[in-house]
Amino acid sequence: MLKPLAAEFLQHITNQNNWSRQHLLAFAGKIVQFNIALIKTKLLILEDGSLSIASNHAVADATIHIPPSLALRLLAKDEAAKMLIKIEGDTHLAAELSKVLQYMRWDITEDLSKVIGDIPAEKIAAISKKTVAVTKKQAINITEMLREFWQEEKPVLAKKWQVEQFNNDVDTLRSDFTRFEKKLAKLKQSIQESTTN
Amino acid sequence: MRNKETHFGFKSVKEEEKQKKVGEVFHSVAQKYDIMNDVMSAGMHRLWKRFTVNTSGVKAGDSVLDIAAGSGDLSKLFSQKVGPSGQVILTDINASMLAVGRDNMIDAGLQVPAAQCNAEFLPFADHSFDCVVVAFGLRNMTHKDHALKEMQRVLKVGGRLLVLEFSTVWDPLSKVYDAYSFKFLPFMGKLIANDADSYEYLAESIRMHPDQETLKKMITEAGLSKVDYYNLSAGIVALHKGYKV
Repeated sequence: MLKPLAAEFLQHITNQNNWSRQHLLAFAGKIVQFNIALIKTKLLILEDGSLSIASNHAVADATIHIPPSLALRLLAKDEAAKMLIKIEGDTHLAAELSKVLQYMRWDITEDLSKVIGDIPAEKIAAISKKTVAVTKKQAINITEMLREFWQEEKPVLAKKWQVEQFNNDVDTLRSDFTRFEKKLAKLKQSIQESTTN
Repeated sequence: MRNKETHFGFKSVKEEEKQKKVGEVFHSVAQKYDIMNDVMSAGMHRLWKRFTVNTSGVKAGDSVLDIAAGSGDLSKLFSQKVGPSGQVILTDINASMLAVGRDNMIDAGLQVPAAQCNAEFLPFADHSFDCVVVAFGLRNMTHKDHALKEMQRVLKVGGRLLVLEFSTVWDPLSKVYDAYSFKFLPFMGKLIANDADSYEYLAESIRMHPDQETLKKMITEAGLSKVDYYNLSAGIVALHKGYKV
């Protein structure tokens, strides 16, 4: 039940974003597996440059791993998080598909307008966009609030400057220790020389 | 050779008789074929067919051969995909089914040529089609291996063969599925099409059809590459896809 519906949705999205076909045509027949948090899914690039789901037994040409923590950062549009995405296999294929998926948009207003007409569709789409934006902002606010609570009120998490200070202290300790080791070695050597003389 | 036997549902019949008997079944159900498909699958056959088209990779300008096209559901969907620059050919061995399919195409305003032919001896030149599709038809063919080789022959290099067929259902559901197939199907066949025997044959022929892995092997042996399959609705049907390289 889900496979036909997912394939139908992917076909629909590709048709709405027809530009994507020319980017993917060169990779026809290739399969990319996405491991996003607990969800694993395989996408197949078809001969017409559109996307479909791959069969369960299909071997992926590239795999993209996005752990839950990274998924949250990507949702919050953290550019630095993109550098942490782990790719295995054909990196060119994975990078191209990721880029295409990033710019693909579901034109929900267009779809709704065919069912309920242009004006209600525009209004519903505007309300939905606002709701999503508010929900996203609230999620980020709650995360920030929890971070502050666990850092200031009930310290469980370390602050960035504390981690940096700790790293500096470890570095200083390491260089002090190396210096001490060398001094000790020199001292040993001079004792040995004095006893032989 | 002439004394060789094959299965017709659970019965064994002479090879030359199977084609005639299958022909009688489809001649009998042709007029009620669409409504029975909807009743038997609760409309799911439409989703399975759309999935087949959506995973075909067929694009505008492509040529598609629809074998055992029946009432032409797939031909209709593929016609929209290939557009006016492409070509879909609807074929069926059974004249009654072909007439239903041809009429449906005309009613839908589609220019789809219809040809009555046996899939084991396709009247098309080598390397003619970008995609060959057979939906719920392979099961009824006497020599499936011959038919698959013929499909491979008429495909262009890089072309795809799609086989949508009833298959082996997920084991925990097999008891319920058996009850449905052997009790409910013939009952509905009697009620709607006034033909319980044909629907009993349908249930039996599904059980006699090769399972997913066996069919995958058969398609590979017919000369297709990168053969893979999708289980749909817990394996009630499976879509096999293979490439000619």
